[in-house]
Amino acid sequence: MSLAKPAMRGLLGKRLRFHLPIAFALSLVAAAAFKYGVTEPRKQAYADFYKQYDTTKEFNNMREAGVFESVRPTGK
Amino acid sequence: MAHPSQLGFQDAASPVMEELLHFHDHALMIVLLISTLVLYIIVAMVSTKLTNKYILDSQEIEIVWTVLPAVILILIALPSLRILYLMDEINDPHLTIKAMGHQWYWSYEYTDYEDLGFDSYMVPTQDLVPGQFRLLETDHRMVVPVESPIRVLVSAEDVLHSWAVPSLGVKMDAVPGRLNQTAFIASRPGVFYGQCSEICGANHSFMPIVVEAVPLEHFEKWSTMMLEDA
Repeated sequence: MSLAKPAMRGLLGKRLRFHLPIAFALSLVAAAAFKYGVTEPRKQAYADFYKQYDTTKEFNNMREAGVFESVRPTGK
Repeated sequence: MAHPSQLGFQDAASPVMEELLHFHDHALMIVLLISTLVLYIIVAMVSTKLTNKYILDSQEIEIVWTVLPAVILILIALPSLRILYLMDEINDPHLTIKAMGHQWYWSYEYTDYEDLGFDSYMVPTQDLVPGQFRLLETDHRMVVPVESPIRVLVSAEDVLHSWAVPSLGVKMDAVPGRLNQTAFIASRPGVFYGQCSEICGANHSFMPIVVEAVPLEHFEKWSTMMLEDA
């Protein structure tokens, strides 16, 4: 007939033991998401850009577009 | 240059700026880690019916929240110091240019071989042609050879100024009576914009910096032409 005595101690500790691992795990997931969603793609984008970069070709394109003041487009 | 609604840095045009970009991403990742942790804990602590929420002492948690921040700080400090020393390496410049700040324009002196010097005033808004950028264009650009280490000696003739070009990862205070040195390598040809970065009077916002990186042969032709025009 008598009810079980409810837990009266260690309630905060129980809450912390439940939530802190989740908090750490979520923050690590957020950091990993940023690393693999932003940091690594950005590094790869710069590496890919310079791997195929032809300085002369790009310079000539910019020159013909009239971007520079020290060098006018050919024919001008 | 910056573009509307831009949130991050401008695209890097020098190796140092690329390193700074990646370091910023690393530091921001750590900030995100800490912010997520703290936000979760705040929500967990605020959304509870428990009335006795205050731990009086616990050796374990004290050790954790002492050691973990120390480790995080080391993870930030090591790449930071690496870049700091990278920026200070002996860089054997191919060219030295003096950038002098005045109220309210920059002047550039190329004195390695001949005496070439010119002033660089902002192009007023009413004189812009279509395609030019408001408050960023100058009448004479600082032309440099691409993929060459350039040393810039920065000083000022009157009050404090600061010579800054974000895409090259360069900012150096121009102090009257003092010669500050900075260096950069333009990784690719192009036009790179900056603005004075130290309050210097009424027209502080109207003395921009424009660096034009071109292949060496074109730089040589330009400097010959500038000397003839002088």
